[in-house]
Amino acid sequence: MIPAVVQPRAPDRPPPIVPGWAVPRGPVTSDAEAAFLAGSALNSLDNLVRSDPPWAGAWRQRLALKCSAAAVSVVGRTEDEAALRDAWHLRQPADDPGPAGNILAAWKRLASRSPGVDLDTLRSTAGLLGLRWDDELAPLVDRVSDLARTGAPAPFAAAAIADDVQALRPDAELLGWWLADQVLALRLRWPLPAPILVAQARSIAFRTESGRGRVRPGGEGFQRAVCVALTQAAAEACRLAGDLAGRAARLDAVAPKLRAKGAGEAIRLLLDEDAVPGTLQTTRLSRWGARRLFERLEALGAVRELSGRPSFRLYGL
Amino acid sequence: MAKRARREEGLDIELAELPAELRWREWMGRVEAVIFASPEPVGREVLASVVGRECNLDLIIDDIRDELRGRPYELIAVAGGWQHRTKKGFAGAIRAATGLGAETKPLSQSDALILMCIAYFQPITRGELSQVFGKEVSRDVIGHLRSLGFIAAGPRSPQPGAPYTYVTTKGFLSHFGFDTLRDLPDMEALEDAGLLSKDRLLAGDIPILVSDLSGDDGEAEDVGLDFSE
Repeated sequence: MIPAVVQPRAPDRPPPIVPGWAVPRGPVTSDAEAAFLAGSALNSLDNLVRSDPPWAGAWRQRLALKCSAAAVSVVGRTEDEAALRDAWHLRQPADDPGPAGNILAAWKRLASRSPGVDLDTLRSTAGLLGLRWDDELAPLVDRVSDLARTGAPAPFAAAAIADDVQALRPDAELLGWWLADQVLALRLRWPLPAPILVAQARSIAFRTESGRGRVRPGGEGFQRAVCVALTQAAAEACRLAGDLAGRAARLDAVAPKLRAKGAGEAIRLLLDEDAVPGTLQTTRLSRWGARRLFERLEALGAVRELSGRPSFRLYGL
Repeated sequence: MAKRARREEGLDIELAELPAELRWREWMGRVEAVIFASPEPVGREVLASVVGRECNLDLIIDDIRDELRGRPYELIAVAGGWQHRTKKGFAGAIRAATGLGAETKPLSQSDALILMCIAYFQPITRGELSQVFGKEVSRDVIGHLRSLGFIAAGPRSPQPGAPYTYVTTKGFLSHFGFDTLRDLPDMEALEDAGLLSKDRLLAGDIPILVSDLSGDDGEAEDVGLDFSE
């Protein structure tokens, strides 16, 4: 019997990484240097996105989780990645996951729908981010598609939309970063956006040269700061991809040893999602079957238990 | 109901044949009628379906508000929509006329305190609430708040028994006149002080003056929030 697993493929090359010379070692002082760094880093990231590895779903969802953890701290909440993951996976489908969980929902949505924004998306995203909807936000839809069409280089287009949101609504910083990721994906013609920017919103990239205060959208040097942030974000995203590629290869290697019915579906989910609850139930896999399957995968070192709890376990690459 | 009637096919929303001023009056009338006929706040998209495409709803609302100046009721933006509300000053008259006295007061001081705690620290379980208040928060209180539509079940908490956490609803926002959770009193100040952390709250890291809690001047007033309206 052939176990229901992912089709065997030619061994992948390791995913591209951002070369060491493209990662800033200290403060970047010139605009040209920042733009050069961002260009080379985005090239690596672009190669990664275009290679469309089988674990791309897990990669995007984990980036989304990292982004939302950064985003909730931007709005002053204290939930960490684990708390966000719990809020998402332990809720009933129709229930409200709470304010922080909704922020995660916004970034998960960013990572799972093709880039582009219409009015409904914008409105519901603003709702998820806990922002008051106002018709003055509506022109952002046109602004995004304008930026996608014009020839502005991707980092500057992303900076421009963050700028615009800040000018319209100073309280909507998160929406600015969310749209910046959209614009980036549109400019680079990615099939799906990769959520990266907001994770850098509180990073060293936006520190002013004097070392005090932060570069704000619209402020002096914001474009340069976005370039540096993109460089760092791309480097981190590629590092995460390298990590996941290794784990996915391990999962691929042990997959033929699995004899549980429905193991293929579970593996597919592991490759598509940040985490899969240990109580996963599908048409071919019962709760108990899932539990045995995940325990075996964990014993084989192919998945990790992400929550660190003995109960309510969540598994992922 | 009016709400259903306006769904009828062929409602002319553009009103192209009317002169501009009459058209504006008609749109104002429609918007106000829809809001008047609805028991809950009416959202922007619903209102947009009864007026023309190039009509600016905010201006319409402003004009309606202008007209209502001097009336005992007003148009208020709550929970992402608009609703007619009688002005606060007439509360006494309404209470006297309808005989709705203290018994309809929906929240006691302690209920309000618990609701406030949920609002600031959501999602939070009943067990955690009990821990915060140092005494059992009964199921009845939670049930009461749920029946008032202020809270709903959120994600389950990864603890033995998988208790539900509670989160506030749109009804909560609407009742207390908030637009979003960011409008909760002193949200920013609490954030800046790092006091909005559930972990810190449960670890007993946040000093609460016990004398403040026992007296009439409860925590609710301390943050300028009067839940007992």
